[in-house]
Amino acid sequence: MKMLWFHLMPYPALPDDFNKKHRSVWVDIDPALFDRDIMAETYDTYIEQLVYAEECGFDAICVNEHHNNGYGLMPSPNLIASILASRTSKAAITVLGNSVALYNPPVRIAEEMAMLDLMSRGRLIAGFPVGTPMDTCYSYGVNPSHLRPKYYEGIELIKQAWESTEAFAFNGQFNQHRYVNPVPRPYQRPRPPIWIPGGGSVETWDFCAANDYVYGALTYYGYKMVRETIAGFWRQVEAHGKDANPNRLAVTQFIGVADTDAEAHKLYREPAEYFFNRSLHVYPGFTDPPGYVTEASARARYKSQVRQVARSKQASHDLTWQEMLDKGYVVVGSADTVREQLEAAARELNIGNMCAMLQFGNMNDEVTRYNTQMFGEKVAPQLRTMFSEFSHDWWPTGA
Amino acid sequence: MPDSRLPERLIYLFGIAGNAGTSPALQQLADEGCEIITPSVPGFDGVSGFVAPFEYLDWLASFWDSIDASAATPCPVVGASIGGMIAADLAAMRPEAVTKLALLAPFGIADASNPGFDLYAVRGPDRLQHLFAKGVPEAFNNRFADRGEEDAPVALYLSEIAAASLTWPLGDRGLARRIHRITCPKLVLWGEQDELLPPGLIERWGGGDVVAGAGHLLEWDTPDEVASKLRTFLKD
Repeated sequence: MKMLWFHLMPYPALPDDFNKKHRSVWVDIDPALFDRDIMAETYDTYIEQLVYAEECGFDAICVNEHHNNGYGLMPSPNLIASILASRTSKAAITVLGNSVALYNPPVRIAEEMAMLDLMSRGRLIAGFPVGTPMDTCYSYGVNPSHLRPKYYEGIELIKQAWESTEAFAFNGQFNQHRYVNPVPRPYQRPRPPIWIPGGGSVETWDFCAANDYVYGALTYYGYKMVRETIAGFWRQVEAHGKDANPNRLAVTQFIGVADTDAEAHKLYREPAEYFFNRSLHVYPGFTDPPGYVTEASARARYKSQVRQVARSKQASHDLTWQEMLDKGYVVVGSADTVREQLEAAARELNIGNMCAMLQFGNMNDEVTRYNTQMFGEKVAPQLRTMFSEFSHDWWPTGA
Repeated sequence: MPDSRLPERLIYLFGIAGNAGTSPALQQLADEGCEIITPSVPGFDGVSGFVAPFEYLDWLASFWDSIDASAATPCPVVGASIGGMIAADLAAMRPEAVTKLALLAPFGIADASNPGFDLYAVRGPDRLQHLFAKGVPEAFNNRFADRGEEDAPVALYLSEIAAASLTWPLGDRGLARRIHRITCPKLVLWGEQDELLPPGLIERWGGGDVVAGAGHLLEWDTPDEVASKLRTFLKD
């Protein structure tokens, strides 16, 4: 199993009463809440944490994209990834990702990711999320009905741009080009591996299975909450006659490791409460634009996880620490405790890529580095041997 | 001598909440002998398989296909909300089709300094209440009930997709650049309590009448006032 260190880059200084006085951490969050000096310092700290993760033996470091957001300070993950490309030398650089439908033309993404792949000598994993409604439809104003067709067309254009050996014309619904010919092309040939973060839509499972892309079940709520989603993905893999290679799947998980269970609970409770009750305080009205989910998904009563939880949480109460533990939102404990839970999850759900979120909420730099070191030294080595009988066809050639 | 009769027929293009049947204001005109023709439009009809057009021009073609299929034009057109935007473009681009144009709080022009209430920043079940000043009419509460328990919410969702795709994100489709092409007689009415489109926008449409006590879908909120103004306009 591959171990990936995933950073959300949250703003660490939201006020204690944030979820009482503000309706949402996303979309229309009050910009006055952000202190520029804290922001500047935060970027330095978080970038160093990602570099440190490579030193601790992680197979990959991950960045992602959010907009108008108080828990994700990376509207442009490519900027962070470009620093990581030069500051690291071994770890895969996983950009999860660029929200393709937001960029016009998507050729720009092909160009920037090719640059990242070259600068890192073939260590790029190219992630292409549809993007949440908050990021895409509300923050960037994309018509929800257009989002998915733009997304699929954009990925096709990027893929062709990377793989083509000459200039070509592209005549799509949203993109018309007479000359697609990005310079540079990627270091990896014919292209970097493509991973698709998803929230549970039927179409995304099918898209990944049909095209042999890694499916990333990127959840804030732990592996227990995505059991059905992952089962749906594996059904689609089987339906397409593909093998159940666990490396087709990546899952995110908040994790806290310490010498003992008691010490872990003491260390990680506050950051977890900060994240789930402040950072993830999403106004439900921003989760449900008509057209964001297709008719098929609506018919299947599909509802994205963020939306479900945002609704239930805001309608009821702040999550308690015990609820977070019981529901598996966080996996916290000694190295043995954490390893046992993750190994069981990996076996049950067939997870070949574990995206460990070892910094969350307002976790400070010292604790984050301790958590990273503990996981890297005492949890990762045993987990890494899992599924070694499977080839990893979705890993960058230079990592 | 001016003709003091209502026209034999008119086309009514419904608003952002979709087609809930003939509104009470239009029903008054129907009761007086004017045929109200409400074209069925893909998406708003809740029929499965709908994919929202990618471009506004394709949307216009979709509406115009439905209008032309009715064989009602040339005739007066009453357009409300989204329907007002489509009706205005019909009059601007196909002036031979529209003899008179009545616009009830039309989309199509937005004011970024006062964009109005974001209907799609509230959950689906809570949206309708923001369209009316006097409560949600019963006709809107049971839409697509004839489709059955399983299909009715999907049909409603498709209708919402259609409306959202036409108005996202601000509901401005560049009418300000085409309004000068409207040459037929024009009436503009606006609900004083319109949450979605602030009544001040009426000036951007060349002025008109603001109706007290009405919300966005004023032909449902204040049928007598709207019917009276439409009657006068259409007979004039």
